[in-house]
Parts: sequence; structure tokens; C-alpha cells
Amino acid sequence: MDDFEHELTRMMREDRAHTPYGPGHRARLYEGIRVRRRTRVLVRAGGSALAVAGLSVGLALLPHLGSGSAPADLPLPATGSTAPPHSGEPTATVSGTAEPSTSLPPTGSTESHTPGGSPSGTTEPATTAPGSADSGSVSPQTTGTETSAPAYEGTPTYPPPSG
Amino acid sequence: MQRFRADGFDEFVAARWSALLHVARLLTGGDRQRAEDLVQESLVKLWFAWPKVAEQAPEAYVRQVLVRLAARSARRRWWGERPVGELPDRAGPGDVSAAVAERSRLEAALALLTPRQRAAVVLRYYEDLPEGQVAQALGCPVGTARSHASRGVARLREILSDSARPVK
Repeated sequence: MDDFEHELTRMMREDRAHTPYGPGHRARLYEGIRVRRRTRVLVRAGGSALAVAGLSVGLALLPHLGSGSAPADLPLPATGSTAPPHSGEPTATVSGTAEPSTSLPPTGSTESHTPGGSPSGTTEPATTAPGSADSGSVSPQTTGTETSAPAYEGTPTYPPPSG
Repeated sequence: MQRFRADGFDEFVAARWSALLHVARLLTGGDRQRAEDLVQESLVKLWFAWPKVAEQAPEAYVRQVLVRLAARSARRRWWGERPVGELPDRAGPGDVSAAVAERSRLEAALALLTPRQRAAVVLRYYEDLPEGQVAQALGCPVGTARSHASRGVARLREILSDSARPVK
């Protein structure tokens, strides 16, 4: 420290007048604390309200998104030309054996069968499974094409067609 | 709960109020109103952090908050001041003692520094903090803090020697 720095230190410390912490200061400080606390609560409440609003909007939009994707897949069953999904249960096993080998690849391969591989005989189970609820295999072309052919490939849910 | 939370807070504030106000005044280049606002704001922040820092180093915490608030407030362009028609009463020439004149000179010189230089000089020479703590309070590397302090001192040297020069 040179002379100037010593002088600077002295100047800074010399005029330090004692300022008492009075009740006015205290009241003002606690008023500031109250205001800050209120602001925090409001911000937190606003944040929660925003989160809830965002979630509800997201949930409200979700069904629309689901229904929006369904129509894209619905036309596919029409190309299958085998049978409507609900009435097809009995015929499912029959058509599952022979027809899919011919009808599946064209319909399925256009959309989503590519990952599951297109071999006709082997992909039947894969495509039928996603129909899940109905054990029929006509829906395979319909529902199997739409969602999860790859996932169900290894897990055929109905007995293999015995011909 | 509240009483438990604020245990010791009032005592700390009462003990350190004057010193904090003085530091804030140096940090603002002599602006008393702004200094009070800064101390108040940093103490409000301290209150919320009190359960965590009370056992450790509340003084260091509040100093750091004060320095950062001072730097931030220096960047603001408007302080909420409004022009008035008549000037308030001010001390006349006869009231100015040598000490007051010197303090005014120092505060005016400090006001000409950049906020970070001012903070570095005040922490280094008034608070007598080591460079590491100055850097921590400023939130920058030690070398940068050292550079701020030395540039600030050089500038003060220049300003104060100019203002001390006798007028012909």
C-alpha cells in the first residue's frame, strides 16, 4: 500500500457516522419483507395456475390428437376388403391363414409394415396382435398396420392358423 | 414459526445497520437515499435466507447481495426521481466543515468510477477484505477483481489529485 492508498482508506473510514437502527427503519424493513412474501406467494400461485392451465389444455387437446391420427389409419381396412373388424372374428382365422399372405403386404407395406418386415406368412401374428381386444385376424391388417407392428412381432396372441 | 425463523435477525440488523449503510453509501457514490434502499433490499433478501445463513456468515451474504444490487441499480437509468418545482433546503456554505467537504469529495470521486471498480475499491480498502473474498463478492475471478481494484485506485488517484489542485 502506498501513501495514497493509506489516505484513501483513512478517508473512507473516517467519516463513518453512526446511524442508529430506529423503529422507523424496522417498520420499513418488515413492511418490505411482508411485500416480498406476498409477491412470492402470488408468483407461486400464478405459476401453479399456469401449470394447471397448461396441463388441462394439453389434456383437452390430447383426444383430438388421438382422433386425428385414427382417420389416417381407418382407410387402410377398406383396402383390405376382407371384412369389417367387428364382424370378422369367425372369418378371421380363416382369412388369417391364406389371405393375409396376399392382401397384407400391399396394404401394410404402404404404411407401417416396413419395420416389421413384409414376409407374408410370418407377419400375420404381428399385425393381428395390435387389434388386441378382438382376437380375430382380419383386424390385423387394420389395426396392426396402424400402431405397433414391430412391438408385437414376436408375440403372436392367437394360435397359429392350422390351415 | 416466524419468530423462530427470525431468531437473531433483529439483533444482527441493529448491530450492522450503520456499517451496512456506510458501505452502501460508498457503493453508490454518496447517494444516501439509494444507499438506504439497497440496504433495505439486501436485508429483505437476508431475512428469507436467514435460516440457512444465520449460523454461517450472514455478514458476507448481505455484503455480497449489497454489492450485486448496487451494481445492478447502477445500470438502471431511472431511479424513480421526479422533478419538483422548488429545491428542498440544503446546507449553506457556512455548514460545510472540512470533514464534510472531504467526504463529499471522496463520494464524488467514487461516483465517477464504474460500479465494479467502485465495489472492488470499497471492499478492498474500506472493508479490508482479501482479494479472494472481493472476487467472491463481485462474482468474478481473482485476477479480474484485482484489476478492477487497481484501475479504480488509479482513477481515484487521478480524480482526487485533480480536485486537490489549488484553484488559481
